[in-house]
Amino acid sequence: MVDSLLSARRLNKQFRSGEEPVPVLVNLSLHLDAGESLALTGRSGSGKSTLLNILCGLEKPDAGVVHVLGETFDTRSMEAGRKADARWGDLRRQQIGVVFQEANLMPALSLLDNVRFRARLAGQSEDECQDWLERLGIGELADRFPDQVSGGQRQRAALAMVFAMKPALILADEPTGSLDRHTAEAVIGQLFDLQTRHGCGLILATHDPELATRCSKHLDLAHLPET
Amino acid sequence: MRRWIFICFAVVLAGCSEPQQEAGFAGLAGVAENESGVPFLQPGPGDRLTFPGDFGPHPQHRIEWWYLTANLKTADEEPLGLQWTQFRQAIKPRPAGAELPDAINWPLEAAWMAHAAVSFDAQHYFAEKLARGDVGHAGARAAPLAVWLDDWQLEAGSGNEVWRLKVAADGWSYDLSLSVNGEPVAHGDNGFSAKSAGGEGSMYFSLVDLQIEGTVTLGDQTLEVTGKGWFDREWSSQFLKSGQQGWDWFALHLDSGDKLMAFRLREDDGAFRAGTWIPDKGEPVALQPDQLRLHPTNPEAEGFPRQWRLEVPDYGVNLEVSAPPGDYLNSGLYPYWESPVSVSGSHGGVGYMELTGYGE
Amino acid sequence: MTLLAALFSHYRRHPLQLLALAVMIVLATMLWTGVHHLTSQARASLDQSESAVAERQQVVRRDGNPVTVDDFVELRRKGLCVMPWLEISSPEGERVVGVDPLAAGCFQVPGGQEAPWGGELDGRPFVDISEAAELDRDQGSELSLLISEDHTSGDLPSGYQLVPFSVGPDTGELSDSFLLNLDALGVLVLLITALLVRSVYVLGLAQRRDSFALLHRFGVPQGRVNRLLVVEILMLALVCVVPGIWLGRWLATGLGSGFGQALEGLFDQPLYAGQGGSWLVPLVIMMAVVLVACLADFLRPLARGLAGGNRRSGGLVLLVLLAGLALSVWVTDLLWLFIAVAMVFVAAGILAPRLIAWLADWRSGHDRDLQARWRHRELSVLARRLALPLVALQFAMAMVLAVQALVTTFESTFDRWLSQRLEADYYIEVPESADPTLAVDWLADQPELAASGLWHRVIRGRATLLGGKDEGDARVDVFAIGPVGPLVTGWQLFESAPRPWQSLQQGQGVMVNEQLARRQDVKVGQTLQVTLASQSFEFPVLAIYPDYGRPAGEILIHPSVLPADFAAGFQSLSISPGNLSIEDVIDGLQRVWQVEALTIRDNRAIEELASAIFDQTFLLTRAMTTLTLVLAAIALLMMGWVFFSTRAWYFRLLVVWGLSRRQASAQLIRLSVSLTGAVALLALPLGVWLTWVLVHRINPIAFGWSLPMAVYPRFWLELGVLSLLIGLSIALLMSRQLKSPTVAPVNANAMAGGER
Repeated sequence: MVDSLLSARRLNKQFRSGEEPVPVLVNLSLHLDAGESLALTGRSGSGKSTLLNILCGLEKPDAGVVHVLGETFDTRSMEAGRKADARWGDLRRQQIGVVFQEANLMPALSLLDNVRFRARLAGQSEDECQDWLERLGIGELADRFPDQVSGGQRQRAALAMVFAMKPALILADEPTGSLDRHTAEAVIGQLFDLQTRHGCGLILATHDPELATRCSKHLDLAHLPET
Repeated sequence: MRRWIFICFAVVLAGCSEPQQEAGFAGLAGVAENESGVPFLQPGPGDRLTFPGDFGPHPQHRIEWWYLTANLKTADEEPLGLQWTQFRQAIKPRPAGAELPDAINWPLEAAWMAHAAVSFDAQHYFAEKLARGDVGHAGARAAPLAVWLDDWQLEAGSGNEVWRLKVAADGWSYDLSLSVNGEPVAHGDNGFSAKSAGGEGSMYFSLVDLQIEGTVTLGDQTLEVTGKGWFDREWSSQFLKSGQQGWDWFALHLDSGDKLMAFRLREDDGAFRAGTWIPDKGEPVALQPDQLRLHPTNPEAEGFPRQWRLEVPDYGVNLEVSAPPGDYLNSGLYPYWESPVSVSGSHGGVGYMELTGYGE
Repeated sequence: MTLLAALFSHYRRHPLQLLALAVMIVLATMLWTGVHHLTSQARASLDQSESAVAERQQVVRRDGNPVTVDDFVELRRKGLCVMPWLEISSPEGERVVGVDPLAAGCFQVPGGQEAPWGGELDGRPFVDISEAAELDRDQGSELSLLISEDHTSGDLPSGYQLVPFSVGPDTGELSDSFLLNLDALGVLVLLITALLVRSVYVLGLAQRRDSFALLHRFGVPQGRVNRLLVVEILMLALVCVVPGIWLGRWLATGLGSGFGQALEGLFDQPLYAGQGGSWLVPLVIMMAVVLVACLADFLRPLARGLAGGNRRSGGLVLLVLLAGLALSVWVTDLLWLFIAVAMVFVAAGILAPRLIAWLADWRSGHDRDLQARWRHRELSVLARRLALPLVALQFAMAMVLAVQALVTTFESTFDRWLSQRLEADYYIEVPESADPTLAVDWLADQPELAASGLWHRVIRGRATLLGGKDEGDARVDVFAIGPVGPLVTGWQLFESAPRPWQSLQQGQGVMVNEQLARRQDVKVGQTLQVTLASQSFEFPVLAIYPDYGRPAGEILIHPSVLPADFAAGFQSLSISPGNLSIEDVIDGLQRVWQVEALTIRDNRAIEELASAIFDQTFLLTRAMTTLTLVLAAIALLMMGWVFFSTRAWYFRLLVVWGLSRRQASAQLIRLSVSLTGAVALLALPLGVWLTWVLVHRINPIAFGWSLPMAVYPRFWLELGVLSLLIGLSIALLMSRQLKSPTVAPVNANAMAGGER
């Protein structure tokens, strides 16, 4: 348990649709070790994004425990929300990288400035930022602004930002969902490549079953038994 | 016109003074009281004329006027009609002999209005002047007779037999001398002239035989004129009775030397008529309503009736009275019709006609 | 669903936007209509009394004696059209003019000048002359005989002459200036309204761009959509303008009584109700403003300029700004001045958001700290995106600033004038029967008064100034004061000879007021020929004293120089009793004058009353500017809120990246406060400039006299705090959005938040 990067036990979350409670996550548990990758699949609305949000502290489960990077977040403990928020904030700033389907960059900053902004927040040196852009093949676009580059280039920049912070865990929510197949292939290849090279954990939410097979673990939210 | 005008005039004055006692036509029944307790005097049967005092103002009566009309001829024998009138309207009654208010206080106890008109060659010239009383630029005096408003004035010379009338308006003027013949003619009951069947009325007398000569200047044209005039004095404290719509008044010089004054006060139902037959020789006779017939020959016509039938069967009078061509509207604050007329029928002659209340 | 309904469905989804648009139109219409209604009423009232005295002539006696009713009678009986004009001047400044409506009849000739008096005899200020004469018994008065214009001096009897009639009401320049300034503010309100309406409307349009594109794809021609948009905004404008006008008239009626009272108190000018302010003018103007604001896009070239346009036009706009500034300094014509003001405002409006954006970009280029760099870059985006409401706020702030300075200047000027005239504690009228010299002797004999009190005697009357600048004789007010003491020696003098008060005390000269000096071009040291009663004097000018906008010429002399036959219009004593009680003074005066009662005025009470009236006067101005500011602030708040909503994702990104919500909120606050602070900073020079234009340019050009220019940094500070509050409000509203976990990244649509 001490060695595990992330484990979640009996997570529950429900939303309200009018008067009706709609269960999204029911007694969900998962486990991820360093260097492992986990694919989260399921149809739209099956709770992939909610789960990712819970795993990085952006949302709170109704019940359940999350152990991540040596920190424990338990809904049963009486820990003040703000203190938990602060711990989650520290984790996200320094160790958990989050990649969304799009709009991962500040539109008013250049690609390089975005990466440096992120690295700086994580307490990492800004010196390697340009390198990261180069490694992802967009070094010459460093001074461009997000709206001046393509969607694929933006997502590469988003990866550069995540890796520049030297994360222990990467949460990626459909990171290539808005890209064409060819670009998506290239971007996801880079993601897996860097993840294995740096030995960090990766949770990848996707509805591409093929992509799921490339991960070391697979959790299909659509087929979970409701126990 | 005469009484009619003062109704409106009073309304104007009401706007520039304290609220007044008179309430429209309602004050007719009795003696109007002023807030000071001094009443306006109301003429009635049995009142008598006194001369020369009655040529002067009557400050305890509400309204009065000095009224001259003249049928003149130019040197070319062209007819020329002429009018001069000065009205006095009291706002506050003042007993005879009371102290005059000080002019320095610009008192507003009476107002004066003067009208002058010349009718010549189908043209009608009219001018109007207004003044407050007791300040000095307008007033009247019994003897020697003087009636003035600014530079318009009627003034008797020494002996009171020749009067001088001077009027200067914008672009026209006249300067006349008037020789007064005969005694004043008292109308109605020794000077009390009833103005309705109910007995309300005014004090009224006339000088019916004035010989006039002088000059009338119209623009740059100066005309020597001679002819006959008719001078009225009338005073009262009453306005038209409610239900009375207007009046038609005639003063005629007949070629026979006889004179005739007749008027009609139109009422909602019918009219009140009265007049005076003044024979060339003999005493004037007051005409009762049933002795007099007076009506327009075309009553249906729009506006002022220009043709009239005037009959006094008892004296063999059956006249067609008509105004000459032209518009004789005195277009002052309160417009009315004042025109010379010619007379045909049983008698020939000339005279003056005044019409009010035709929706002018 | 019809096409129109389809278009309008946008507002069903964004009812707040529709409400904002409607509220802005209604409020702006209300404000403008209210002001327009009042100013047109006031102007009609002023015109009425101005026309009463416009270029009149009067008859005066050649022997210098005042005209009397006898002169009136003599002239009338000569056939001259003259009318009496009995002006009662009470020391309280109430003005009553007695006229004779009957005598005025001859002035009304067809095609001629208007009669000098043609209104009601209701005491505002006209009454029948008999009533005025009654007042005259207790107060000073002056009779003038006005003569109709068709007479020349040749018509007059010997012993009389024609002179210009100058006993006009003191409505004068201060009131005109006041109204002109209200007008100018009205125009600014319109401008700000247009900007606000446009900003909300453009936002709506942008949000509907996708639906328009969809309609276009469905085959609806662009022209048809445009026409429908015109119909839509027409309907909206009509629906909102009409109740706005109604509210405006209601506002005008509500403020009217106070405004009227103020106008009357300040300028002796009654407000005649029921005139002016038709429905049509506000309706047409407001409809036009709304339509132009919303449909400016159809007026392409203009709109491009206003909407921010391309970067290269910046130089041109700067040129316009400089030209406008230069014009405002050099022109001597009111119209050009207004054009200059318009140029400066338009240019400032275009440049201000760009300047903020440019400065923010420039700063971000120099920031080592990436958070600061990010913040400055965001500020730049904001400034450009919120240009219209920002400019509206800037204009509103500049206006509030200028109005505040103007009103305060007016107020302090008025205060100085009051305290100059009401220096002593008490003011005692000399009864008509009483001999003032007895009182002077008695007062001089009181040791306690001499030790601790102050007093002087005041004699008011009229004089003629010979051979003035315009070659004519001028009637001036005479103000004789003695003994000269600290009650007057504290007056500020514009210019003076050495030891002016001593010279005045010794009867060695006169002082003249500002108006006389300006009009007759009188200089200190110059000799004035003055006719007092029947005598002529030559006096050197000792000093010019400020009279704060009072248009009547006035000379100040020592009573010892007045000839014996000088007709004093009014006499009084000004007394600060010191250790002596005012009761003792009253007792003493009643004894020497042998009168039962005295008219005594407590000057402090009068001062308070006057100040209260003044405050009432400017209540409207202040209400108007404040409301405009509130309107602009609400607009910015709303626009800011809408815009931040599209930007919310990126603030949430900060949280995703590990900043706490509090830290993210702090960034938000810094951002919005910088924005509104920058606007306030940019409004400052504009407002100061506008104050300068109002006080130093418009007033002198329009009215020939200037007010002192003053700045009020304390008020700047207040405005700064207000701008920060607006910024804080925006940030607080936004922080609520950050809490919501459902914030989603929006499409990188140019109008929807992804822009830089």
